[in-house]
Amino acid sequence: MMLLSKLAWRSIWRNRRRTIITTTSISLGLMLAVFFISFAEGIYAKMTDDAVRMLGGHITIEHPSYRDAPAIDLTIDGMSTLRSRIEHLPGVERTKILVMGQGVIKSGSGALGVMVIGVEPSIEKQTSPLAEKVVAGSYLHAGDRNKVYIGRELAKQLRLGKKGQAQKLAIWLEPLFDALHLSTDWLVEEFDLRLALNKKLVLTTTNVHGDLVEELLRVKGIFKLGTPEMDGSMIQIPIETARKIYGLKDNQATQLGVILKDAGLEAATLSRLKTEIREPKLSVHSWRQIMPELASYIKIDGGSNFIFQGILLFLIMFTIFNTILMSVLERKREFAVLLALGTPPSKLKIQIMLETAMLGCLGCMLGLILGGALSWWIAGVGLDMSSLMEEGLSVSGFGIDPIVYPEVTVGLLGWLGGVVFTAIILIGLYPMSKVNTISLSELLR
Amino acid sequence: MEPIVKLEGIEKNYGQGEVVVHALRGVSLALNPADFVALAGPSGSGKTTLLNMVSGLDRPSSGRVWVDGKEVTRMDRSELSRLRLRRLGFVFQAYNLVPVLTAYENAEYVLMLQGVSASERKQRIMHLLEQVGLKGMENRFPRELSGGQQQRVAIARAIASQPALVLADEPTANVDSQTAESLLDLMVRLNEENGVTFLFSTHDRKVMRRSKRLILFRDGMIDSNGSPDVFMADQK
Repeated sequence: MMLLSKLAWRSIWRNRRRTIITTTSISLGLMLAVFFISFAEGIYAKMTDDAVRMLGGHITIEHPSYRDAPAIDLTIDGMSTLRSRIEHLPGVERTKILVMGQGVIKSGSGALGVMVIGVEPSIEKQTSPLAEKVVAGSYLHAGDRNKVYIGRELAKQLRLGKKGQAQKLAIWLEPLFDALHLSTDWLVEEFDLRLALNKKLVLTTTNVHGDLVEELLRVKGIFKLGTPEMDGSMIQIPIETARKIYGLKDNQATQLGVILKDAGLEAATLSRLKTEIREPKLSVHSWRQIMPELASYIKIDGGSNFIFQGILLFLIMFTIFNTILMSVLERKREFAVLLALGTPPSKLKIQIMLETAMLGCLGCMLGLILGGALSWWIAGVGLDMSSLMEEGLSVSGFGIDPIVYPEVTVGLLGWLGGVVFTAIILIGLYPMSKVNTISLSELLR
Repeated sequence: MEPIVKLEGIEKNYGQGEVVVHALRGVSLALNPADFVALAGPSGSGKTTLLNMVSGLDRPSSGRVWVDGKEVTRMDRSELSRLRLRRLGFVFQAYNLVPVLTAYENAEYVLMLQGVSASERKQRIMHLLEQVGLKGMENRFPRELSGGQQQRVAIARAIASQPALVLADEPTANVDSQTAESLLDLMVRLNEENGVTFLFSTHDRKVMRRSKRLILFRDGMIDSNGSPDVFMADQK
């Protein structure tokens, strides 16, 4: 084997330029594949993480009938006990209790249907990105009563601000803004938002008893996620207020969300929870069941990304195929000599395979190092794609953050490197089979 | 004495139908151990074809070949490979050294395939390279050696495994007359001192004269087979 390895290594460097071109093309192809796949994985991971933290967690526990026909009376009881059973499990970062319902929110200028989420503000502040998306006022606090956190789009549609007053101010300040080369639009928007704070809204809904209820709420804060669906149709209120409105008891909620320390632990934790929670009135779901559109988008987009990268790598495979085939065909006489000296054909085939493996190994290692390093570097600083993404780009209402942090893992590098290396080895089988066609008497004549 | 090479009614035809070239026409021959035999004759007379038949590089259209008591014509690919590795040595006209191996490694190649231990390989190769006059040139690659030196490495490679028979196809054709003379000296010495059997083809009259037996080929048949002195005398 030492002899064959020595022969293979020296043989690949016989045509230095060809070897450099081949390894470079493999490494560049693999580098791009690593980067684009980790880039997409970064987008998916961020989108998923934001969505699960904002809503029902990586794993959601709810009433078994809730998923088919969400209704406020399909609640789960004994939240404190359930929470304490789950929070000690390995991999669980936190649990969050939600009361999710529907309602109509009214201002003096209009009314809109909204998704109402009753939350524990102290937990949300630590887990949900929504709590950080405040553009005016502040997020809810523990102990707040009848306060509401609404989206910017909703505030606009309910005309909570006094745009007329803001515009009058803008006209008055226009000369100053012109001198500073600034637009007054920003001023109008900001002023409008500030004026929307502390405004009264009335939430109308039906409680668990089927009674129509109305509750007066005051705007505590305004958020902007950047997606019209979320910004225009979701409100958060303290869970105590939600329970009061919907007629729920203190220990009742519609969902218990489980936030994990690492999304990779989801499958194991889900299976453990399904084993441990066997009560008939509780069902355990993955976020993929709770947000199927998001899960499908990731699956389809990820699949198409893999196909694209696969095509790119398939084209690159021809480079190495050409290199190995040429290198075998132009050395047929040399192989004939080695066969004449008594080299078993199998050993010659091993030598050709070793040459293929060495070229593949060099290209793959270089590609993984370059692709990994590029992805890791960008994962640290982030890549601002806002100039290429239109504002409000979203999937199922969940915005795609324009600052992308590629997610590169050792597993991804190993998997990609393994796939490319295996493909290279498979491609080397044909040139290797050419050993069988060597005619000693013709070549050595 | 059991012949080391025996050919019986060897015929070799190339081509099909009306265009058939008869390279060998019923050649029968026997070589004894420690023979030093030259095959001579015009180009296309069948010298190289005969060497290919003996080495199993090609198969005859009819007839049988034995090497070292074993019938070559019945061997499969792997048996032929083993025969060439264990019992035969080759010297080619164009040297055919492996360009990425040094002189030492080229000579060592067959021994490594045979599984000879590293210490024994070193001892044998160093002694051989000294014998062929390449002491101090062990680490040179073929491109760093002259034609004559490359052919010396090829001879060292051919005899390193202590084969029963060395087949050489025009070993002196690509070197100058002085180098050819010294290569021939080397082959004669190896034949006389080590008892290595040589069967080689040549066009060179000086080489023919140094052989112990000269077989003259014409149109795929043995024209004469005997002492070179008789043949040379006839030519005068």
